[in-house]
Amino acid sequence: MEAMASTKEWVRMDSVSKVYPNGTTALQEVDLSVREGEFLCFVGPSGCGKSTVFKLITGLSGATGGTLEVMGTSPQQARKQSDTAFVFQDHTLLPWSSVVDNVSLPLALRGMSRKQRREEAEQALELVGLKDYVKAMPRQLSGGMKMRVSIARALVSKPKLLLMDEPFGALDEITRQTLQLELLDIWSRNKEMTVLFVTHNVFEAVFLSTRVVVMTPRPGKVAATIDVPVPFPRDASFRTTPRFGELVRSVSEALKH
Amino acid sequence: MREEIAAESIALPLRSASPNGAAAAPGAGRTTRLAARLRSALPPAVAFLVVIGGWELFCRLAGMKPYLLPKPSDIVAAASANASNLWVSVYTTMSEAVLGFLLSVLLGVGLAIALASSKLVERSIYPYAIVMQTIPIVAIAPIIVIWFGAGMNAIVIIAFLIGFFPMLSNTLIGLNSTDHNMKNLFHLYNASPLQTMFRLRLPAALPFIVAGLKISCTLAVIGAIVGEYIAGIGGGKGGLGYAITVAAARLQTAYLFACGLAASLLGIAFFLLVSRLSKWLLSSWHESELNSSEG
Ligand SMILES: Nc1ncnc2c1ncn2[C@@H]1O[C@H](COP(=O)(O)OP(=O)(O)OP(=O)(O)O)[C@@H](O)[C@H]1O
Ligand SMILES: [Mg+2]
Repeated sequence: MEAMASTKEWVRMDSVSKVYPNGTTALQEVDLSVREGEFLCFVGPSGCGKSTVFKLITGLSGATGGTLEVMGTSPQQARKQSDTAFVFQDHTLLPWSSVVDNVSLPLALRGMSRKQRREEAEQALELVGLKDYVKAMPRQLSGGMKMRVSIARALVSKPKLLLMDEPFGALDEITRQTLQLELLDIWSRNKEMTVLFVTHNVFEAVFLSTRVVVMTPRPGKVAATIDVPVPFPRDASFRTTPRFGELVRSVSEALKH
Repeated sequence: MREEIAAESIALPLRSASPNGAAAAPGAGRTTRLAARLRSALPPAVAFLVVIGGWELFCRLAGMKPYLLPKPSDIVAAASANASNLWVSVYTTMSEAVLGFLLSVLLGVGLAIALASSKLVERSIYPYAIVMQTIPIVAIAPIIVIWFGAGMNAIVIIAFLIGFFPMLSNTLIGLNSTDHNMKNLFHLYNASPLQTMFRLRLPAALPFIVAGLKISCTLAVIGAIVGEYIAGIGGGKGGLGYAITVAAARLQTAYLFACGLAASLLGIAFFLLVSRLSKWLLSSWHESELNSSEG
């Protein structure tokens, strides 16, 4: 996969460091290259700097060392082009807006007309299986449904780069596995979309990704990157294959360093 | 929630129309609910009658001088004898309070939005806004009378000032309590400061603004009456505060009681109205209020 020279490099980090103003070294000399169409999972213990990587890529905060390019330009510039979308652990839905208004928020902020953004929002909601909940309010939805709405809101702008920071962290195991399958389904229908996905969960990382980035804390470093050369579509039975077990073991092994 | 409101708006005319029995049509469910409502209203009604009856009896038996403690019947008589004057006073005070309240809401919320839009401006003015809130408006009321002359203008300004600072500081606190993740979300989607203000911060501040509304509406009535004490003018259109000072000077204690009672009722009615409005605002916008009424 890496050999394909034609694929574009969406994120490039060259010995990137991040020291917070209070002196915490969150990242030290991180090198990373993300190519178009990858589904990259970051795994690592709490505090190893996974969210910090995301903050740098989105331009929410700046690197204190090294160079970082997103889509060939600076993170802020890339964000202005609106090709990036985000899903957080918390669903961050506006409680006073209906589902469809929440989903179309990124489009509304861009000034798209009401009619057009409604259509787009309905399409996005169809992708996550919530077409019947267009007019519902967030408080009427379960945790899993809220997360689906949150994912629909990220998909509505048809992003090239989708950043997900522990999106399923607060969900129960069954809902989590359903959403994993749905996410893979959505992604495999649009292979140009590159997904960066943070998780604590080694099983989740191996199940979803084309490549796992294992991070270790104090200071945050990339300990290993492990390819998951298992073809898509993957279904629940992938979890029971010996191959899955092997990959999980090697990721866990890398985590111990 | 919606059902309840519907039932209530039906129950209200029902209750007033019940003597002639014309409005007995609605279903059995509503009748039982009405019965439950009546049953819950019964104990306070009895308590009211006992207190009033006791008061009347005490005054008659002890031979109280009416200018010290008038009987309830004296109060009713004084009120009905001066009904048109009393009504003019209530109406005047009400207009002043409502005007002052509306001004304090508009300017309080407006200024808070302006202040919160710029961190620098906010940081330089906010401490004063907080300090100003602690100024007893009564103490500076005479200055306002000097500036604006006795009468409606000065009174409305006093009613406005007294409700303005709670509105301002409540809104400011609300605008600054937006969830951090939400703010990041808006930032990441390249929202302009204006979009963040009107799509995120203002709606998120609504519970705080509503709390401010409830404080300010009570204060506005107090402000109007206090304003009339100081700046009230007679000439047949003085407010309750003015009527109270006159009645007190003439030792018309029964009428004084009637005015005090009218002022209380005015304050209660205004508060209930604003509470209703607040509830409606929040239930259509926000989940926090709903949780309490659903649960
Ligand atoms: N704004 C900040 N100021 C100072 N230190 C910070 C800040 N944000 C994060 N850190 C520190 O940087 C380190 C990495 O934090 P980060 O949030 O990236 O970890 P994480 O891998 O996402 O952890 P988790 O899995 O718990 O979310 C931690 O030690 C944290 O305390
Ligand atoms: Mg994190």
